[in-house]
Amino acid sequence: MSAERYLAQVPTAWCPGCGNFAIREALAAALDELGLPPHRVVLVTGIGQAAKMVHYMRVNGFDGLHGRTLAAAAGIKMANKDLVVIAESGDGDIYGEGGNHLLHNIRRDLDITLIVHDNRVYGLTKGQASPTSDPGFVTKVQTFGVISQPLRPLALALALGCGFVAQAFSGYGDHAAGVIARAIRHRGFALVNMLHPCPAWNRVNTFAWLKENTFSLEERGWDPAGKLEALELLLLEEKLPLGVLYREERAPFEDRHPVLRGDPLALRPLRQPEELAPLTAELS
Amino acid sequence: MELVVRIAGAAGQGVQTLGELLSRALFRHGLFVHTEMSYHSRIRGGENAYTIRVSDSPVLATKEKAHVLLALNDEMLARYGSLLVDGGAVICDASLSPSARAVRVPARELAARELKLPIAAGMVLLGALARFLGMEMGVLRDLVRERFGDRAELNLRALELGAERAPAGPWGLPRGDPEGRHFLNGAQGVGLGALAAGCRFLASYPMTPGTAVMVYLAAKSLEHGVVVEQAEDEIAAINMALGASYAGARAMVTTSGGGFALMVEGLSLSGMIETPVVIHIGQRPAPATGLPTRTAQEDLLFAVHAGHGEFPRYICAPRDPRDAFYLTVKAFQLAEKYQVPAIVLTDQYLIDSHFTVPEIDLSRAEVSDFRLSPEELARIPEYRRFAITPSGVSPRAIPGVSEKLVLVDSDEHDEHGRITEDLGIRGRMVEKRLRKMRGLEAEVSPPLVYPEGGLRGKTVLLGWGSSFGALKEAVDLLNGAGGDYALLHFSEVWPLRTAELARAFAEAREVIAVEGNATGQFARLVSQVTGLRASRTVGKYDGRPFTPEWIAEEVSR
Repeated sequence: MSAERYLAQVPTAWCPGCGNFAIREALAAALDELGLPPHRVVLVTGIGQAAKMVHYMRVNGFDGLHGRTLAAAAGIKMANKDLVVIAESGDGDIYGEGGNHLLHNIRRDLDITLIVHDNRVYGLTKGQASPTSDPGFVTKVQTFGVISQPLRPLALALALGCGFVAQAFSGYGDHAAGVIARAIRHRGFALVNMLHPCPAWNRVNTFAWLKENTFSLEERGWDPAGKLEALELLLLEEKLPLGVLYREERAPFEDRHPVLRGDPLALRPLRQPEELAPLTAELS
Repeated sequence: MELVVRIAGAAGQGVQTLGELLSRALFRHGLFVHTEMSYHSRIRGGENAYTIRVSDSPVLATKEKAHVLLALNDEMLARYGSLLVDGGAVICDASLSPSARAVRVPARELAARELKLPIAAGMVLLGALARFLGMEMGVLRDLVRERFGDRAELNLRALELGAERAPAGPWGLPRGDPEGRHFLNGAQGVGLGALAAGCRFLASYPMTPGTAVMVYLAAKSLEHGVVVEQAEDEIAAINMALGASYAGARAMVTTSGGGFALMVEGLSLSGMIETPVVIHIGQRPAPATGLPTRTAQEDLLFAVHAGHGEFPRYICAPRDPRDAFYLTVKAFQLAEKYQVPAIVLTDQYLIDSHFTVPEIDLSRAEVSDFRLSPEELARIPEYRRFAITPSGVSPRAIPGVSEKLVLVDSDEHDEHGRITEDLGIRGRMVEKRLRKMRGLEAEVSPPLVYPEGGLRGKTVLLGWGSSFGALKEAVDLLNGAGGDYALLHFSEVWPLRTAELARAFAEAREVIAVEGNATGQFARLVSQVTGLRASRTVGKYDGRPFTPEWIAEEVSR
């Protein structure tokens, strides 16, 4: 077996040099490492260049609406908890249009892996600022530069009680694959913020910049058990950490939901009239 | 025999509880009972009125004037005292001074002194009312025991205190046999229909009056294996439902017009990815927040036209709670069969009103599985989720049950579900999706004609949805007064059946649309589809349900 079996043999619509190619390889390598049969995996995406991932992979796919990636993923996981559900989209989709769903799906804590392509710029709509763009970032829309504070996804996830918070960089493919595999293995909602360059629209956070401005948590001997330490690091450190920042084991939503015990909802048989007889008795 | 009883008080005084107890007790007496709930959008204070119409023959509409008013405070006495029939009576606390004939009971004092529970004053008055109506107290006592369990004793005592202090009124309530009948409201009809249809998943954001369906399913959730998830917003709700449906669970959402407005992009997604979903919309007066706890039929054209792009859908608008049961089952069934969104369009009046109806027969609920089984999938060499077929319906697989992969895409896509900008495929996909409309058209049942028979030379009232009962009775009133009226009434509104419309417009002397909106939405839909125009529209848009008298008066104006 090899990671190749997870790749759809179709031409892609990504620009040369895009970080998405490496992320695709990393995702396939992670699925291969875990030995997951393609038909047991559902990849859920929204809209944007990152969201096209679903068409370039050979697994089940739900390519929904812009911003609604996590909502669809949550419905899929609740309907069939036995599926491996991976939600993947860009910073605009997840942190912008779909921000509310991010907040509330971290709260739900279904066993879903979320991979966010964070290149700090909008690609498909041609170069506007993203929620993660730094102040001063000039675009054709933000003509005098971004003046809002950037959204800090890792700190946000930690503050909301997310049980798995990680960051990776498309430039370090093997490491990224390892982080994705750990995220999938984690039982519960797992966030992987995937830094990557956009050679077409972001001339600030380039490949070289990302190399220069990131550091490895593993090399520091980081222990992902400390939430306060993780927050402190995010607030004080100028550079961006790579690796698993925080991890906490607990029962995910589907283990805590009494109706979800037993067979997946989607595989339960249609009800027989006699099952519902007590309900018509209530009507007299 | 006919009697209208109204219980009115402030929110928090137990109007709904008293109304539900009394109305079900009357149903168990073997009478035909119809209830209507009128309330303000608040938890305390304001105005709550529960109107119970009782008869020894079927009643399907509410009335404005009551024979008996149980007033829980001065304000309600003033507000509803004028809506008593001549010679009507009031039941109230001894501290109130009604101008009408009254039975005054020191309920507040008794509740405080004897029961040490001031809120029980309402139950004392209910006891007095029951005695005044000549009810068998045993029926009411049984219901109090069912409802209150451990706390029943105090409430039974309260009933007794009231009953002891009231005279028997002039109404000798006949006793009948409730066998073969059910007593339910629209929310129960929709909720039970969803369960019978195999619904396993509901995601919704609370919004009156749609929430009632969510609450019904939540109460049955564990016993009947249905996940009821409170979504962060309506956009999440419909996208969650579509995710669940894609994965193979029958899914629905419930909301009102404003929430549906937020769901509209998801509705279009359902059309594009051909993934079934049932949307219950409990209509209320709008625009915007409107009158949250009142009723309307204002969202018909919105439901028919909602969503960017072109795709088929099914829309039903039940006439009564029993109809809501069967049509909700049908909505699920057609959604699954044609892989389209199906909308159940009710309103606050139907959702909150209890009707006495012939009993619901669960075995008549037609439910079948349209998904490919793992065995069927194994026989297909290359599975294509959006295979182009003569009917437009592609065999539907769900992910994970076989090695066949299932891909759906909100972008235009090829037969495999893969994104495409091939404009030839685009054309074939549009045509494939729209071909499903032909199948749907053949599924829709004809409208109802009342009285049965021809429409030649008659003035035909044209209506849809929950207005049925009031319209039917209005036709009787008008014909009783020497008129020549008939009713043509739709409970399935999209796709629109046109044959009966063409015949009605050809035969009728005049067609008058009667609707719960100001602009004649159904009449406009009929005109858009058939070119036939109603001569005028009688519209009700004051937030109150139709009454037969109101319709008769407006029509003959």
